[in-house]
Amino acid sequence: MQGKEFEEKNHARWTEYEEALAKLEKQGQQAQDVSRIPTMFREVCTDLALARHRMYGVLMNERLNGLVIRGHKQIHRRAGGTWDKLFRFVLIDFPVAVRAEWRLLIVCTLAFILPLVGVALAGFYWPDFSWIEAVLGADMMGDLDMMYGSPDDQISNLRDAYGSNFMMFCHYIWNNIGIDFRIYAGGIIACLGTLFFLIYNGVFFGAVVAYIHVACSTEAFYTFVAGHSSFELIAMVIAGMAGMRIGLGLLNPGRKTLRRSLMDAGKRSLPLIFGAAIMTFIAAAIEGFWSAQAMPPMAKYSVGIALWLVCIFYLGLAGKHISVRSAKKERSSIEA
Amino acid sequence: MATINGCPVDRIDTLQSIELAEGVEIHLRAAGPYVRVLAYLIDFLIRIGVCVVAYFLIMLFSLIVGGNVAQGLSMLIMFVLVFFYYVVFEAGKRGASPGKRVMGLRVVDTSGAPITFGQSFIRNMLRFADGMPIPTYGFGLLSTLMNRRFQRLGDLLANTVVVYDRLPLMHLASLPPALESSSPGVVLTREEQAALLAFRERGGMWSEARRIELADHAQELTGRTGQAGMSRLLGIAQWLGEKH
Repeated sequence: MQGKEFEEKNHARWTEYEEALAKLEKQGQQAQDVSRIPTMFREVCTDLALARHRMYGVLMNERLNGLVIRGHKQIHRRAGGTWDKLFRFVLIDFPVAVRAEWRLLIVCTLAFILPLVGVALAGFYWPDFSWIEAVLGADMMGDLDMMYGSPDDQISNLRDAYGSNFMMFCHYIWNNIGIDFRIYAGGIIACLGTLFFLIYNGVFFGAVVAYIHVACSTEAFYTFVAGHSSFELIAMVIAGMAGMRIGLGLLNPGRKTLRRSLMDAGKRSLPLIFGAAIMTFIAAAIEGFWSAQAMPPMAKYSVGIALWLVCIFYLGLAGKHISVRSAKKERSSIEA
Repeated sequence: MATINGCPVDRIDTLQSIELAEGVEIHLRAAGPYVRVLAYLIDFLIRIGVCVVAYFLIMLFSLIVGGNVAQGLSMLIMFVLVFFYYVVFEAGKRGASPGKRVMGLRVVDTSGAPITFGQSFIRNMLRFADGMPIPTYGFGLLSTLMNRRFQRLGDLLANTVVVYDRLPLMHLASLPPALESSSPGVVLTREEQAALLAFRERGGMWSEARRIELADHAQELTGRTGQAGMSRLLGIAQWLGEKH
């Protein structure tokens, strides 16, 4: 059979298929009966294979190739169920993923905590403004004075203007989630970007703590940060874990090819960075609308401690029964 | 490995062939850095445009709700534009940001399937790394030039590839069929048959001299050179086209 005959014989079928596809692409499934499309799709697949084998020429091959690609796009779509997935993610997948990467959790926590404690202690023992200023800069020190200079509710006074809570909420989303994402992306440069950001933030916070203890009101500072500190700091460390994961995919592919290793690392990092973004969002909401409220310090401290405990128990325990069960199932299926 | 007319060829162009579950191969044409830079510039201009429009709207809006709320809103808009502009568009139905759509591009999984939200998220968050050292996109460029599918770092992690959405039509111009078909006299392999058919299919694009020059390479088959060799070659191609 010649190319022309082949085309004439099948032309009607291809046109019908193409029209059905065009309708599906434009109007979705409701517009027509879609039950015949998979059959038509498979027929066109066969036509493409035949046309290639019989060398009917580039033009026909390209046309059939295009028709198959379009059908493939429509037929192999991913299932929905967004809300189910979100609940499952928050209740199970995220804490399980964090626990699975406990080694990275330790590394990232230390990369942040050690510089923080080191710089803060150095600040207590050698209260010399010159090097604190070198880290913080004069502007930042001025801001700290303005916010925490004395214990009489300066921050809540600063937030008196209408809408300023909302503004700060938006600012924290932009700034803090942005930092998480940069920590994450920096991981691909052989983990260096991630480690740099974690250590840098540790040094910076350490200098802030030192400066507050030396020059400002510690009560004003700790009552402000008590509420959101848990979510914000844990989220930053988890963003670091996600970044380290992709960096290790590059540095340590093991027995996989580099391409495969990067792909897997991307997949494994995803629940971590999503979870970190959600936690930072919660922190921004607390910091924007609650942390600056004028309240007795004890109330703030107890809420702060409670939220730390919530975070720790959530990440430590949530989804544990499920992962144990699925691990058992896996084992029994292997034995069977 | 890519195939042309069913014959394997090693890296003759940017076609990616992917075998589907239905047992047939499709060809995707990966998009190179040049056209993607253009798409990026278009997206960049669009985002600048949105910023300018949003700025004026927020200026008006701030008269009603006050400066602080307006400032907060502008930061939210910045956040969405910087971090989620690409993520949302590429995870959407069309799988392409507006700039990519203008350039006829689309992001797909390396299996040819549409990408998930997660894949879109990874490939676009990694822009911050691909974009280093700012503002050159140096890492991304280096990565695209170092692999066959033009994948930047974000693509490698998300297992995605940027392809032409509709393959651009090939510029073809067939030669008129030969007056008489002639049998080659020897058994030709599939590669050889494919080469002859492709010669006839594209012959109209070249000058007569170039056609003769190419036909001279098949001297062993035709037994002649020059004009006569080319006629004989076209005759064989005609014979191949008639075979059953």
